[in-house]
Amino acid sequence: MKNTIYLFLILLIIFSMSGFVFVKGKTNGNLNVADLESGLIRGEAQKVVLSMVDYNYYPQEVKVKANEPVEITLDESVYGCLRSFTIRDLGISKILRTPEDKLTFTPEQPGTYTFACSMGMGYGKLIVE
Amino acid sequence: MTLKEFFKELNGNRVEGELIKTVFYSLLTSFVLLGIFYFFKLKYIGDFVPKYGLFLVFSALGYSLILLPIRQVRAYANLPCMSGMMVGMTTGTISGFLPGFFIASTNGMFIGGVFGMVIGIGIGIWTGKCCGIMGVMEGIMAGFMGGLMGAMSAFMLLNDNLKIATFVLFFISAVILIGLNYMVYKEMKNEERKLIEDHSLTIILTFILVIVTVLLMVFGPRSGVFG
Repeated sequence: MKNTIYLFLILLIIFSMSGFVFVKGKTNGNLNVADLESGLIRGEAQKVVLSMVDYNYYPQEVKVKANEPVEITLDESVYGCLRSFTIRDLGISKILRTPEDKLTFTPEQPGTYTFACSMGMGYGKLIVE
Repeated sequence: MTLKEFFKELNGNRVEGELIKTVFYSLLTSFVLLGIFYFFKLKYIGDFVPKYGLFLVFSALGYSLILLPIRQVRAYANLPCMSGMMVGMTTGTISGFLPGFFIASTNGMFIGGVFGMVIGIGIGIWTGKCCGIMGVMEGIMAGFMGGLMGAMSAFMLLNDNLKIATFVLFFISAVILIGLNYMVYKEMKNEERKLIEDHSLTIILTFILVIVTVLLMVFGPRSGVFG
């Protein structure tokens, strides 16, 4: 077989694999930050204050109720990259520069979500019940 | 002009003429294996394609390119010292960087770094030994550095544009590896080929690499960030 045919087959394989991933690769159930922020007006927020102990968030496990607003703040003990707070599965990412800065959202689906700093050095679990 | 000759030789009778076939056989092996795994096991894993699909496809593409210098260098057997060092360094770095990057994207820095270093050092030594101890040393150092660097880059990009970075880094790695093929051709175009082999080594290596990658990515240990 000529190499041009092999080249054609290579491209065919790459396009097939990419097409499959593209079509099937859409995530389900991820919430949008904009939608989450709008949930704040629905009721009193569940306030969560995180500290920093042993270069990690403390507490490392936080339980909240679904469909009720959550307000997260980081106290003055948190510094460095841990002030860049993210919950990847909920599409949330915000730099909380001071203890007064708040991250508010409403988790709609029960489950366990990992929260972490932007570099993944500090992390913990947000359990939505 | 040598570059023109190189592209012409990709369709010729030398080892360079077999490089496209090597990519094809490697991709075909990966494609068939991933397809079998998917239909019998992986499709039952929740969010499998969104979580792992892109990284598995790029792993398969990466392995098909990493196998190119292995075939080319084995065909010529002995290279001049400087060329051999460049071969060891380039293959060690890229074959450590890409697997480390893809595994760290799904499993975290530790497992990605270790896997990247093992693959990078292994392939770095294998290809670098064509010019003796200096090439071997280059291969070890480059594999060590590439494996850790790939894993670290992926981990630091987790909350950034990781998927776009995957495309960019793969493209750069592909250009580097094809550049290495050109360099080896330029250095060795007047030399005789020492080893003639079929594509069984390509298929076996791809088979092993894809299986280990799938096992690690889907069922392997993860760092705490991945829950």
